[in-house]
Amino acid sequence: METKGAIMNKQSAEALTPFSPSLHANVQAIRNRFGGSCDLVIRLFSSDAAPERELAIIYVDGIVDSETINESIMEPLMSLKLPQYRYQKGGKLLDALRSCVVSIGSVQEINTMDEALLYMTDGLCIILADGCAAALTADVNGGSQRAVSIAQTQTVIRGPQYGFVENIRTNISLIRRIIRSPDLHVQMHKIGKQTHSNVAVLYLHGIVNEGILKEVYRRLAAIDIDGVLESGYIEEFIQDETFTLFPTLLNTERPDSVAAALLEGRIAVLVDGTPIALMAPTTFFSFFQSPEDYYQRYDIASFVRIIRYVAYIVSMLLPALYIAVTTYHQEMLPTTLLISLAAQREGIPFPGLVEALLMEMTFEVLREAGLRMPRAIGPAISIVGALVLGQSAVQAGIVSAGMVIVVSFTAISNFVMPEFNMAATSRIIRFGFMLMAGMLGFFGIFVSVLFMLIHLTSLRSFGVPYMSPLAPGPTRQGLFRDVFIRLPWWAIVLRPLDMNLRNPKRRPNGKKPPAQRHTDKP
Amino acid sequence: MQQIGKNQLSILIIIFLIGSTPLFELGIKAKQDAWIAMTVAAAAGLLLTVMYIRIQKRAPEAGLAELYMMHFGKWIGGAVGLIHACWFAYESMRNVRDVGELTMMGLLTLTPKWIVMLLILSVSAYTVSKGLEVFVRIVQLLFPVAALSYLFVILLLLISRLPDISRLQPVLENGIAPVMKAAFPDLLSFPFGQMITMLVFWKYVHEKKIIGRVSYWSQAGVSLFLILMNMLIMSVLGPELSSLSALPLLEVVQLIRLANILERLDVIVTLLLFIGLYVKMTALYMASVFTFSAVTGIPYRHCVMPIALVIYASSFLEANNTYHIWIGLDVTLKIVPLLQVALPLLMLAVGIRKKYKDAKIAV
Repeated sequence: METKGAIMNKQSAEALTPFSPSLHANVQAIRNRFGGSCDLVIRLFSSDAAPERELAIIYVDGIVDSETINESIMEPLMSLKLPQYRYQKGGKLLDALRSCVVSIGSVQEINTMDEALLYMTDGLCIILADGCAAALTADVNGGSQRAVSIAQTQTVIRGPQYGFVENIRTNISLIRRIIRSPDLHVQMHKIGKQTHSNVAVLYLHGIVNEGILKEVYRRLAAIDIDGVLESGYIEEFIQDETFTLFPTLLNTERPDSVAAALLEGRIAVLVDGTPIALMAPTTFFSFFQSPEDYYQRYDIASFVRIIRYVAYIVSMLLPALYIAVTTYHQEMLPTTLLISLAAQREGIPFPGLVEALLMEMTFEVLREAGLRMPRAIGPAISIVGALVLGQSAVQAGIVSAGMVIVVSFTAISNFVMPEFNMAATSRIIRFGFMLMAGMLGFFGIFVSVLFMLIHLTSLRSFGVPYMSPLAPGPTRQGLFRDVFIRLPWWAIVLRPLDMNLRNPKRRPNGKKPPAQRHTDKP
Repeated sequence: MQQIGKNQLSILIIIFLIGSTPLFELGIKAKQDAWIAMTVAAAAGLLLTVMYIRIQKRAPEAGLAELYMMHFGKWIGGAVGLIHACWFAYESMRNVRDVGELTMMGLLTLTPKWIVMLLILSVSAYTVSKGLEVFVRIVQLLFPVAALSYLFVILLLLISRLPDISRLQPVLENGIAPVMKAAFPDLLSFPFGQMITMLVFWKYVHEKKIIGRVSYWSQAGVSLFLILMNMLIMSVLGPELSSLSALPLLEVVQLIRLANILERLDVIVTLLLFIGLYVKMTALYMASVFTFSAVTGIPYRHCVMPIALVIYASSFLEANNTYHIWIGLDVTLKIVPLLQVALPLLMLAVGIRKKYKDAKIAV
C-alpha cells in the first residue's frame, strides 16, 4: 500500500537497521525482536526456483490468511521450476520471485528490518532469501473478524441497515461501494507508537475545502501517543476546544452517514479497531439530523426534526423550569394545577431542588447500570427501577408524583437525539440549570442559558462557526433548507455547511423535474 | 480583525435601541401625547445618526477614540475619549442596576441585589472577553426570540381588547410646547442619542459603504416599534396610571387574562426585558473597553476585568430605585447631550475646516 511508504519516510529520520545478507542472521534477529513469541511463524525451506539457496517465510499467526499463504506463496515457491533464474544473485532473485512466482496482488520489496517488523504486525508476510539483503512483503491480511451486521447504535426504519465493523479495510470498502467514484480519496496514516493503528482520512476530491483538509492532516500528524484503541482517542486530539461539553465532531457507525457527510463536503476519519467513524467539520445543527431524515418523506422528516429540537430543549430545561416554577414563581401556574401540586408536595420533606437532584441522580445511576450490567440481570433492574424507585418513592413521600413525571419525561426526551454524544451533553448541563434554578429561579435559568449560548457561539469546528448558519448568519441564500426543516431533495441546491467548499452546489437548480402524466385511457 | 456583516449590524442596532426602553413609559411629561414626543425625538435621532455617519465616513477605519484624537489632537482627543469611555461604562452600569431592580421587583423579591448584578455582569464580561464577533452572534440568536415574544405579547393585548384608542385623545391638548419639552433633550438622549455607541462598532463592519443605509433603516424601523409600544402602553393604562407605575409594561401584561392558562405573563416579559438590558449593557460595556483600550494603548483583553469591576462597584452608588430612576431619566439626560450632540457637532465643524480626505488620514 502506498501509504505505508509514507510512514516509512516519516520514520527514516531515525536510524533503521538494514537486512543482513545472511538469511539465518535475519531470521534470528526477527525472532529475538519478537522475544520468541509463540505466534510468530518462521518457515525455512528451499525452492525449485532457487534450489541452492534457502528461503524463509515469516508471518504472525492469526492475523494472516494461512490458506492464501499456502496457495499463493508456498505452493508456487516450492513447485515452480524457473531455471533461468537459478544463478541470479542478490536482489534479482527477489525481483524474479515477485514478478513470476508469488501470485498475490500486493507485493513489495523492502530493505530494512524495521519495515519488516512493522509489516508483519500489520498482517503481511515476509519472504526472505539467503544472500539477499532485502525482503519481499506479501499482503495476506486475514484472520477472524466480525461480519458486517446491523448497526446497533443508530437505527433507522427506512434505509440501509448495516453498520461498520472493527476492520478498517472492510469499512473503507463499505463506503467505496456507496460512492463509486475515483474522486473518493483515502489517505492512510499510522498513529500510535505501540499500536501502529491505521487511521484513514476520506474525502471527496473536488468538493472538500482543501484548507480544512490540510488542517485535519496537520492535527493528525501532531498526535503523539502510545496507542489508539478507538476513534475517541483521535477525537480528543483533533477537536478544536477541549474545555467544552459540546462535541465538535460527529461520530457514526453507519456507512451511509459517512457517505452523506462526504457528499456534503465533510471529511471522515476512520480508525482501525472500531466501528465508529468521525466526521468533521460539524455544526451544532448536524447533531439533530438523523440519516433517516433524508430517506423519509420530507414533510414527516421536518416534523420529526422539529420534535427533536423541542425534545432537546425539554431534556435540558424541564427539571430546571419545574424547580423554578414550584419554588419561586408559583403565580404562573393555573390555580387548580397549583393546588394539586401543592397538595402533592405537602408531605415531601425536601425543597424542590433537592427532590429533583435526588430523582435525576437515581435515574442516571439506573441508566448507567442498565448499560453495564450483564444481560441476564436486566429484568431485575427494571423491576427495581420502575416499581421500587418510582412508585414506592412517591408512596413513601420522598418525592412528589409531579417530579417523577418531570424526570421521566426529561429522560425519555433525551433518547430522541440521534447522536448520543450530544444527548449526553444535555444530561450534564441539566444539573447546572437545576442548581441555578433552585437558587435564582427564572433569572438563574436565564443567566445560565445565556452563558451556554455565548459558549456555543464562540465554538468552532475546524474553523467553521459552531452555530452557523444561524449565528453568524448564512453567507449564501438557501442554506436554511436543511437545518430546522428539510425541504424536498430537489430544492436542496447547496451543500449544507457554511464553509468555502470547492464545489458548494449539489445540483444545478432548485426546480422539480417535470413529471409526465400518463393515462391508460385510449 | 474581527468583522461583522450588515445583517448583524442591523440586528445589533435594533436590539440595542430597544434595550430597556419599553420598560419605561418615556415622554410621560407630554401625557397622552407621549407618542408624538417619541416621534419628534425619533426624527431628531435620525438626524443625529446622519451626523455620526458623516463623521464616520471621513475615516471608515477609525473608532470613536481615534476620531476624537484625529479631530482634537492627541491629548485633548485622548482626554475626551477617556471621558466618553467612562460615560459608556456609566450607561452600562445603569443597565446592570436596572436588571437588579427589575429582578427585585418582578422575580426574586428576597434575593440580594448584589448576586443578581454580579451574575448578569459576569455574563456580560464573558461576552466582552470573547469579543465583538461572538457578541453580535449572540444578538443574532436572541433576536428571533425577542421579536417573536414581543409579537406574541402585542397579539395577546389585542386579542384581550385591552387597548383603548380613546386614552390617546385629545391629541395635542395643550399645544405643541409640552410635547417639545418632553422630547428635548430627554427623549433624544435616551434612547435615540445612544446611537453614538455605534461610532465604536461601525469600523468593524465588513462592507463600509452600506453602514449608512443599514443604520438609517434599522433605526427608523426600531423607532416605529418603540413609538408603537409607547402608544400601546398608553392606550391600555392611560396617562395617569402610566405616570404612576414603576414598570408600566409589566402592569400592562398583568392585565392579560386568556383561557385560564395565560395569566401571569409578567415573568416572561421580565425575561424579555432582560434580553434587551443584557444586549445594551454588553454593547456599552464593550464600547467602553474598546474606547479605553484605543486611547491608552492597553490591550483589549486586559481592560475587560478592570472595567467590569468599576461598573460593578459603581452600580451600588445609588441608594434605591427611585433615586436610580431620577438620576437616569432626569439628571443624566440633561448632561449627556454634551457628549451626544455637542461633541460630534464640534467634530463635524473641525472636520470641515480641516478638509479631511476619506480614509487617508493617519490616526
